[in-house]
Amino acid sequence: MGQLILRRLMTAIPTLLAIIILSFILMRIAPGGPFDGERPLAPETRAALETAYGLDKSLPEQVVQYIGNILTGDFGPSLVYRDFTVTELVAQSLPISLLLGGLALILASILGISAGLFAALRAGKWQDEVLMLCATLLTALPTFVTGPLLALIFGLWFGWLPVSGQGDGVSWLILPVIALSLPVAGAVAKLARAGLAGQLGQDHIRAARARGIAPLTILRRHALRPALVPVASYLGPAAAGLLTGAVVIETVFGLPGLGRYFVQGALNRDYPLVLAVVTLYASLIILFNLAADLIYGWLDPRMREG
Amino acid sequence: MSVLQLSGFGVDIGEQRLVSDVSLEIGEGEIVALAGASGSGKSLTAITPFGLSAGNGTGSARLGGEELVHLPEAEMAKLRAQKIGFVFQQPLTALTPHRSVRQHLQEAAMQAGGGAPTTRTMLAMLDAVGLADPQAKLAQYPHRLSGGERQRVLIACAIAHGPKLLVADEPTSALDASLRRDMMGLLTGLCRKQNMAMLLVSHDLASVERDADRLLLLKNGEVVEQGSAAQISQKPKSGYGKALMAATPRLTEEMLTLPDTGETLLEVRGLSVRFKKPGWRAGYLDAVKDASLTLAKGETLAIVGGSGSGKSTLGRAIAGLGPVNAGEITWQGDLLPPRKKRTAQHRRLIQPVFQDPVASLNPRWRVADSIAEPAEQILGTRPPEARIAELLAEVDLPAEFAERRAAQLSGGQAQRVAIARALSANPEMLLIDAAPSALDPLVADGVSRLFRKIQQERGLSMVFITHDLALARRCAHRIAVMDAGEIVEMATREELFSTPKTEATKKLIRASS
Repeated sequence: MGQLILRRLMTAIPTLLAIIILSFILMRIAPGGPFDGERPLAPETRAALETAYGLDKSLPEQVVQYIGNILTGDFGPSLVYRDFTVTELVAQSLPISLLLGGLALILASILGISAGLFAALRAGKWQDEVLMLCATLLTALPTFVTGPLLALIFGLWFGWLPVSGQGDGVSWLILPVIALSLPVAGAVAKLARAGLAGQLGQDHIRAARARGIAPLTILRRHALRPALVPVASYLGPAAAGLLTGAVVIETVFGLPGLGRYFVQGALNRDYPLVLAVVTLYASLIILFNLAADLIYGWLDPRMREG
Repeated sequence: MSVLQLSGFGVDIGEQRLVSDVSLEIGEGEIVALAGASGSGKSLTAITPFGLSAGNGTGSARLGGEELVHLPEAEMAKLRAQKIGFVFQQPLTALTPHRSVRQHLQEAAMQAGGGAPTTRTMLAMLDAVGLADPQAKLAQYPHRLSGGERQRVLIACAIAHGPKLLVADEPTSALDASLRRDMMGLLTGLCRKQNMAMLLVSHDLASVERDADRLLLLKNGEVVEQGSAAQISQKPKSGYGKALMAATPRLTEEMLTLPDTGETLLEVRGLSVRFKKPGWRAGYLDAVKDASLTLAKGETLAIVGGSGSGKSTLGRAIAGLGPVNAGEITWQGDLLPPRKKRTAQHRRLIQPVFQDPVASLNPRWRVADSIAEPAEQILGTRPPEARIAELLAEVDLPAEFAERRAAQLSGGQAQRVAIARALSANPEMLLIDAAPSALDPLVADGVSRLFRKIQQERGLSMVFITHDLALARRCAHRIAVMDAGEIVEMATREELFSTPKTEATKKLIRASS
């Protein structure tokens, strides 16, 4: 297992490097630049700014310099929010996204897995059909529909929960977390149901039944772990997406998370900001896929080999 | 005193009666076998009384005096946990993949309410079922064990709680022929020693005679013959019993004459195949080592060996379906190039019939399309419908089958379609990989008769890969025995059986007789 982790981390380095170089180049190829505002700048000012930020050098030179800086932990200054470094911006907004995404992930797993398992045990009955219909609906509904809808119902009509910004306590988190978790919960429910329903027909379950083991014990001991393999493979990449900021939900509920900075940074051609977020996102994806692989190994020992 | 008693027992699924009026009695230390073709209801009869099938029992089934028919599931589960042990057909999948052998044994030993067994007890349990190196096996997960080892673990689990009755549903049919004898010997030995009753389901009539005290032959859910196993095996009274016995190849039967053979067509010299083992620096596996053989026109060469002996890999290499690392293959003296360089003309010569006929047919295609494909690819034109009907007739299927899809075929019919497909490009040779878990004896016999008929009519050469030595003896001119990747012995069938030279051959012969 230690070997697996080591090997994956080794391959992570060239992967990350490739992602950084590619996004660096793509950003530069995209038309427009960080200093194209509504009011055109005087040519001298622009030239001075470009020299200051090193944008006048050749592209390869810039890439090398950028990577050198990253290695020392310096992600550079933001080209648009000029009073802040990128590190400061990320440090400010990442905790909000992590909190939001982390809670949504937990909620989605609990809801999705329990609904999926229950549906599998009632396979073919009405409870199964209702739950799976809900799951399909939830997966299909985009967050820009469910988010405002929840805000409208629970925030404006009933007035129970705040609809925008960070208030005191935790009540401001409830609606965005729910809205963010619903589509993931739907997908998890479907995967968990399929996983368990597939397991229940297997020979080893019949063998356990033949031994007279109680149905709930069979479920817990013999069926649950292999049934969750597809859930784990979905949750790995989904977690990376949730944690690095849900643009739509952050915008709908007016939360200053990473997702908003990412989109604004891309629109403003704030090169260092976008690159920093891309690097963070890519590292998280790599990390969570590794975690998913380790979880597979625990769920099913056959996957520990080759 | 009888342990299990069925009287007028039947099985219904929904409105349909699938088994009716079975009566039998098994006493302590006795073994009663249910046999019959697939679909005869033998497995249903064996597991329905204990609530393990989708069917409902009718009539009466008593276990030590307690009536099982209509017993609620919770009580049935308790009864199973305390008094019955089960061994199923599929050792490869009947163990839970994420639970170690130790966990399986613990659960099994505690199912009747006993305390947790000590390591010493568990080692003794594994020792009793003949598992080598039990200390190391205890910590293993099932996927690390071979099929035979897994079946031994399952048997250890089945008897861990000291059951009164053992129900064994085709316990050996998924195993290698050379293991079957050992495994049945183990099961029967345990029954006699521990005074357990055993209800055995089997399609292997050749072995039932030795294993069981009494035998019931089932056909379409009804008992057609019952009595002493030895008597039925040697002198069946019913027509069905006679047909079943005749369909089961045995080493003791008379050898039928085979069609004459002609000049040598295929020659394989020094063929080797190696595979890279999975993982980093894991090295290579020599699947086939320095194999040489010849095949004449109209000849059948059987390649026999246990699983993992390399027989299928050798076959695939010859047909140009698998890799070749060294050696050469010639056809009438001309070199056959490696698989990627073989032209349509080369591929026409040797056509394969695969192990699993249903899986080898594309489920979305009509039978006609499957049959037409090789001709289309190799001869360049799609054969007319009449030609497809002809091919279907050659494999004894009606022309209407052209419109069916794979899911609408039985195992035997799918096998026939696969043969028609192999014939459609007019090959000179067939490579037949026989399924390891044999088809139903009647169906299998029908298919091997068909091969003989085709060989006679077309003068085809055949390489027949099987683990069933008795079947090889029945249909092959010569037999090559493979062991650990090497052809250890190759001789005419007469010679091989009268003077076997190597230990591997002798072992196979012992296992099959």
